Amino acid sequence: MTAAPALAGAAPAAPAAGAALRVVVVNGSPNRQSKTMGLVDAVLSTLTEMVPFEASRVDVYRLGPGFTGAVERDDVTPEVEQALKRAEQADLLIAATPVFRGSYPGMFKHFFDLIDQYALANKLVLLAATGGGEHHALVLEHALRPLFGFFQAMTVPVALFASSGDFDGTMLLNPRVHGRIQVALTDVADLLGARAGNARTAGA
Amino acid sequence: MAFEIGIMTFGEITRDPVTGDLPSPRQRVRETIEQARVADQAGLDVFGVGEHHRGDFVGSAPTILLAAAAAVTEQIRLTSSVTVLSSEDPVRVWEQFATIDLLSAGRAEIIAGRGSYTESFPLFGYDLADYADLFREKLDLLLKVREQSPLTWRGHFRAPLTDADIAPRANGTTIPVWVAVGGSPASAISTGRLGLPMALALLLGPITSHEQTVELYRAAAEKAGHDASALPVSINVHGYVGRTSQQARETMYPYFAQGMMENNHQRGAGFPLSRLAFDAQASPGSGLLIGSPQEVIDKLLTYHELYGINRAIIQMGFGGMPQKEHLEAIERLGTDVAPVVRREVAARAGVAA
Repeated sequence: MTAAPALAGAAPAAPAAGAALRVVVVNGSPNRQSKTMGLVDAVLSTLTEMVPFEASRVDVYRLGPGFTGAVERDDVTPEVEQALKRAEQADLLIAATPVFRGSYPGMFKHFFDLIDQYALANKLVLLAATGGGEHHALVLEHALRPLFGFFQAMTVPVALFASSGDFDGTMLLNPRVHGRIQVALTDVADLLGARAGNARTAGA
Repeated sequence: MAFEIGIMTFGEITRDPVTGDLPSPRQRVRETIEQARVADQAGLDVFGVGEHHRGDFVGSAPTILLAAAAAVTEQIRLTSSVTVLSSEDPVRVWEQFATIDLLSAGRAEIIAGRGSYTESFPLFGYDLADYADLFREKLDLLLKVREQSPLTWRGHFRAPLTDADIAPRANGTTIPVWVAVGGSPASAISTGRLGLPMALALLLGPITSHEQTVELYRAAAEKAGHDASALPVSINVHGYVGRTSQQARETMYPYFAQGMMENNHQRGAGFPLSRLAFDAQASPGSGLLIGSPQEVIDKLLTYHELYGINRAIIQMGFGGMPQKEHLEAIERLGTDVAPVVRREVAARAGVAA
């Protein structure tokens, strides 16, 4: 399996604006039910109220031997190539991962090691992470943001973190985290709006 | 709501760090029942027994101990602190507590928890991966059983019930069900949504550490349409009431340090709690309810002011406190502390009203 189908909570394509906004989630969790995806669900359902989009997901732990056995981009199977392309062509990339051993898991990094060096340049990237406790929160700033700094991506200023205690199972309950999602996505919507405006001006 | 003060125990079987003696389980069950009797006679409001499935605790079946306590007490409320509901059958839980309720003429109560100790999950065949779902479903069933019999109910983790006759019923109209919350925001929010009383555990740390928890609980309750101001909140803490400030600390420290050594692990092993760290926990800004009766009164009133709590349950025997010292502290709590706190809180309520 290379990717999850369109996620629950994702709106259908915008009827008027031509091609819908492509949101791609790169999921660094090994679990089928995860708090990390619980956080992303909250992000997507909040985004639904702001802009029309189509979401898809890449579960790096489900990409299989065609991914794990690949040393270089040329080694990957067509399904994995398709997943990498999808991430490279996203309008908004959501990089979401649990904290493992003090950072993102190696499998998550391996995916980005196979991404083309310039494919994410100036791309809007929203950073999200979950951890066992608040003491992991700076992994967003000290591990994830530098990774996308390498790619010259445009990381969204507000990154999202939630601890185990913020969830009932995988459902995000803490209103403070919901509030932070709102703040982050308001910035995302502004940036997307500006880009859409520029594109229209350029096309006119 | 009148302010309630009580005690709880895990029935610790811990080697005495001072004398080196290890109490027998038989001695500890008898001592546990004696603690209930003394607490009742001292005028305390609540007696709780915690559930632990380990050799160093005698409380794996709290309902049996509470039933025995029912027979030797008159007024005191008998509660579980806590019932690890996630690994129980709620129907059986109800039957047992309803029986205690009949035995005690309406004094039974359930504090349902997810379990900070998780030994019971493999013991009864439950998967820790279902931690959150188990609790949600079992709490739902327990509340339905409490509401009505016969009951028709369907869930995921057990066979459905069809017109099930669940007996006995409560002695009076109902049995109180509280939810134990360790301090995670999500637990506080889901408890608030259900409009259930919240029993908040505070182990160590600043006395203010649960401000956000209580805030989230009340906000979630209001949002779900409950009257948040009418919902009881209790604080469950460690402590000890001594003759004097110094005597309380001298008495409690070696046992509490022992209990922490055996139950609070870093790098997979216990670690010593220094006297310095202990004394810091005993200071006015920290949560531990320890000291002279006046110190404990002051701290309970601070708790009341901070959180608007209606109840405090204090665990004074952690780490194997000897029975003599434990009973003396129970008596001081009942006779020197509780009346003053009840009066002060009532006076505050009068001013506010």
